[in-house]
Amino acid sequence: MAKRKARPHNILITGATDGIGLVLAKAYASRGHHVLATGRRRLEGDEDFFGTRNIIYIQADQSQADHACNRIAHAMNKLGWEQLDLLILNAAAGWTGLPQDETSHSVSHQISVNFTAPILIAKTVAPMLFNAGGKLVLVGSTAVKKAQPAFATYAATKAGLDGFARSLHEEWKGRAQVQIVHPGPTRTAMHKKAGMKTGLFRLFFMSPRRAARGIQRAIRSGDKRRIITRGYGFGALFSRAREGEL
Amino acid sequence: MRALVTGASHGLGRALTRHLLKAGYEVVAVDRDTDALDDLVVESRGACIPRMADLASDNSLARLMERISDQTFDLVILNAGINATGKFEEIPIPAYERLIGVNLIAPLSMASSLVGREQIDQGGKIVFIASLSHAVGYPGASVYAATKDAIASYARSVRKPFRRQGVGVLTVFPGPIRTAHAKKHAPMGADEAKRMAPEVLADKILAAAKGRAKVLYPGFSAQMAQMFGRMAPGMATRMMRRVIFDKLEGPEY
Ligand SMILES: NC(=O)c1ccc[n+]([C@@H]2O[C@H](COP(=O)([O-])OP(=O)(O)OC[C@H]3O[C@@H](n4cnc5c(N)ncnc54)[C@H](OP(=O)(O)O)[C@@H]3O)[C@@H](O)[C@H]2O)c1
Ligand SMILES: NC(=O)c1ccc[n+]([C@@H]2O[C@H](COP(=O)([O-])OP(=O)(O)OC[C@H]3O[C@@H](n4cnc5c(N)ncnc54)[C@H](OP(=O)(O)O)[C@@H]3O)[C@@H](O)[C@H]2O)c1
Repeated sequence: MAKRKARPHNILITGATDGIGLVLAKAYASRGHHVLATGRRRLEGDEDFFGTRNIIYIQADQSQADHACNRIAHAMNKLGWEQLDLLILNAAAGWTGLPQDETSHSVSHQISVNFTAPILIAKTVAPMLFNAGGKLVLVGSTAVKKAQPAFATYAATKAGLDGFARSLHEEWKGRAQVQIVHPGPTRTAMHKKAGMKTGLFRLFFMSPRRAARGIQRAIRSGDKRRIITRGYGFGALFSRAREGEL
Repeated sequence: MRALVTGASHGLGRALTRHLLKAGYEVVAVDRDTDALDDLVVESRGACIPRMADLASDNSLARLMERISDQTFDLVILNAGINATGKFEEIPIPAYERLIGVNLIAPLSMASSLVGREQIDQGGKIVFIASLSHAVGYPGASVYAATKDAIASYARSVRKPFRRQGVGVLTVFPGPIRTAHAKKHAPMGADEAKRMAPEVLADKILAAAKGRAKVLYPGFSAQMAQMFGRMAPGMATRMMRRVIFDKLEGPEY
């Protein structure tokens, strides 16, 4: 994916109904690529959700990882996609609180959405990625850098993806690229969905647009691992604040 | 003194269980195949208490937690772990689901519920068994490696909040162990003699669990590998590819 090829790319983006994933889907679609977008919502009767015909949406709820996989495989089959140029595994969910207060359901839900589903989707579409010599991009988080007592399971799923990318990058050399990007705190609804109060720190988070631009730049690069932060000025200091690092 | 060990029938879990029984612990020994524990039950005159559970199944796990809900423990060793080796894309989905269930969902939800329900005594300890792959990567077992990295991260994150409840956390990063697990998943021609005996490793783990160590890289070669992985992570993973991935035959799960 280093250079723009003449033909439009087939791009699959998970968790594209909100936040960073939504910006990414629209950005690629506006450049003429074909985007298959997934999410947990039902969007029937809301054909105009994305405002472009270059984005096709299917519901694929990752809390049932194998089910989500089947839905995606089925959709790609129906679209006749034999090649996949870019796979962005972006969907994720969090939970905030002390680990001893977390329920087993919360633990297994996050593992399914953030960890099992991306792995199973990568396996399912691997042949199409190989056909295109395409690129797999996993979305991690800068939360993996240190201990995260307030969202231990979430951070564990992201650290798991980091390790997955490390080994798979080596395995897939010459067949498909594997990359992990770790965004810093971003001004999306994710924190709220995870039950986290971000308070004033939120002012220093990057916008989802900036995060998406950083991810696209990372994708154009050949790096196997990239941290995406504002990376400049005064705000960068604050953006490191643990409070927002989901 | 009471301990809980998962994956207690074979391999490292069995060695840990034996040593704990010898040291006078009562051991709640969890495995899906508990027949293999019969001899330990007899030898220990009932101090070994087998509990059958398939840790890959949410229901079975929930039943286990219910069954032991009135017991407290001084030591909990979340040891059960399985592998799936070969080319990532050639291993079937159900094998990955089992692997993630046993290696990741079970230990995380057991740890959080045991501490949450105050089933670990003040001064008690939880031991997570990760893998040396955390330091060097593991092409040919990328999902296994991912579960072990996730465990290592979780253990690091819960250390402080668990300590507030008087519970310590130790993470172990073993290199190859002379067990059925290694035999099944090592590439052809790998030297069995170089693997650490489970009895030796069990000793090291129990000694470390008594102390204050947060992490244990058991043995000289594990420590060297850890250093190498930290200094040259890319090179370490490329090397792992050559010595493991390139030599693996069919998928094994
Ligand atoms: N925001 C941050 O500060 C931050 C920091 C580091 C990393 N990240 C990572 O960046 C990625 C995007 O996050 P974001 O901030 O854009 O969050 P977001 O706005 O909440 O978007 C997450 C997307 O994933 C979808 N999703 C949630 N649960 C799902 C499920 N069970 N099945 C399928 N899709 C599901 C969401 O659907 P709904 O629209 O229905 O909720 C949404 O489309 C995530 O991987 C996140 O971990 C975010
Ligand atoms: N061996 C190595 O080289 C090595 C290296 C690094 C880390 N480790 C880690 O060390 C730990 C112990 O490994 P080991 O070498 O002792 O493996 P092992 O010899 O295969 O023993 C694992 C034990 O766990 C049990 N088990 C497996 N699946 C289970 C399930 N679904 N429910 C309940 N019990 C289950 C096994 O029972 P069955 O026999 O019935 O399957 C067995 O008794 C694992 O976490 C492993 O990942 C091993």
